[in-house]
Amino acid sequence: MSWEDVGSVADLERDGHVVARIGGREVGVVAVNGKLHGIRNRCPHHGGPLCLGAVRERVSGAPGRYELAGSLVLRCPWHGWEFDPATGQCLDDSSMRVAVYEAKQEGGRVFVQA
Amino acid sequence: MAWTIFSFMIDCDIHPQIGDVEEFLGYVEPAQREWFRSQGPSLGIPGYSWVHPSSWFRADIEQNGKPPAADVDTIRRELLDPSGTEVGILNGDDAVLVSLMPSPYHAAELARAHNEWLRERWLADEPRLRASILCPAQDPQAAATEIRRMAEDERFVQVLLCGGADRPYGEPRYLPIFEAATECGLPVAIHSGGEGMGIAAPPGGAGPVTFYIEWHTLGSACSTMSHLVSLVCHGTFERLPSLKVLLIEGGIAWLPGILWRLDTNWRALRDETPWLERKPSEVAREHIRFSTQPLEHTDGKDETLFEMLETAGAPDNLCFASDYPHWDFDDPGFMLKRLPEAWRDKVLHENAAELYGERLGLARA
Repeated sequence: MSWEDVGSVADLERDGHVVARIGGREVGVVAVNGKLHGIRNRCPHHGGPLCLGAVRERVSGAPGRYELAGSLVLRCPWHGWEFDPATGQCLDDSSMRVAVYEAKQEGGRVFVQA
Repeated sequence: MAWTIFSFMIDCDIHPQIGDVEEFLGYVEPAQREWFRSQGPSLGIPGYSWVHPSSWFRADIEQNGKPPAADVDTIRRELLDPSGTEVGILNGDDAVLVSLMPSPYHAAELARAHNEWLRERWLADEPRLRASILCPAQDPQAAATEIRRMAEDERFVQVLLCGGADRPYGEPRYLPIFEAATECGLPVAIHSGGEGMGIAAPPGGAGPVTFYIEWHTLGSACSTMSHLVSLVCHGTFERLPSLKVLLIEGGIAWLPGILWRLDTNWRALRDETPWLERKPSEVAREHIRFSTQPLEHTDGKDETLFEMLETAGAPDNLCFASDYPHWDFDDPGFMLKRLPEAWRDKVLHENAAELYGERLGLARA
């Protein structure tokens, strides 16, 4: 595995994500609370561009009551399935997981180890 | 009648008929009796927009201008003895529509009177019979009071609501009914019927229908689906973890589809119901049971039907019901032949015995 350039820090800050094609697959990087996460840009549900989804706080609660769960998730822009950006695990279906990669920024560029 | 004898069969849906309105009125409190009498034989219960073209009942058991199943002897002779039914549960017939009466006060009194009528005129005469508690769902507090009152009699084994409703039963205002049932250790049965009548919403979701065939196809199935989805989405089973619901006579072939659809939406729309931490289909499988009648005709594709139902929890969530004495009754012998052999014990008695538990007074329950 090697560090691959997936875009500029400026693009990541502007769009919330950067995406590049690496070895025949799309890999993206999203920033969550200042930490970068490399994630395959393909939702395991229907193949949607997962990294283009919103990073948002997960909602929880008891019947009739809504609460913020205190954790940030990456929400697929197609069907809204939510994933833990650090592990790639889908939070509503234990059988669904997306590949995740180490990510970093250096010299104004964003890299993933893929 | 050439039925096979099933010595352990539990029939979850038998409909006793009010054969003598005057005799029934004797159970109504005197101050309201004249009002009910003035409403005629319907007793003010909302009626259907149609009369079944031939009969609401099996034509072979109609007798002397009176409805069938209007007394214990008839039910004994026509159903319990020949089928070998060990336990039969009486569910109010048209009376289940008390919840759709505009007046909650009359509804509460009619429900109370019907419960007393069942106790004295039916349960006292036949030890194989049990009954459901009728209650006025349009006044959930009054319904809860009636549930607690009647639950003291162990022969009442479940609470009975009707499919027709002004809103689906997951709505929090109905909670007192489910809380009272749970507190008393009773399942809640929701029996299709009354959709579009009285204060109920129209059946089918696209406005009033034209024909009885449309109503009979859509009304009962759609209301049953609505209550299922509503109870699950509102988190009723998270609030009341021991609650069990039996959905009667709404069909079952649609069940895998609606659960798959609900599971799909649950993941995408979870912000609306974040308290649902498990897949809705898992919640339904654990808490909801279904009567088999009317088991859909499949044009010889029963294997496909049963394979699909297995994905939705069958046979563990199916309970036999005959719907005697109605025209769309499921004959116990015919049902036995249709069911996969490995399902029969569960569907014919084990699942119902577990659902009703010790109240049935069965040694095996």
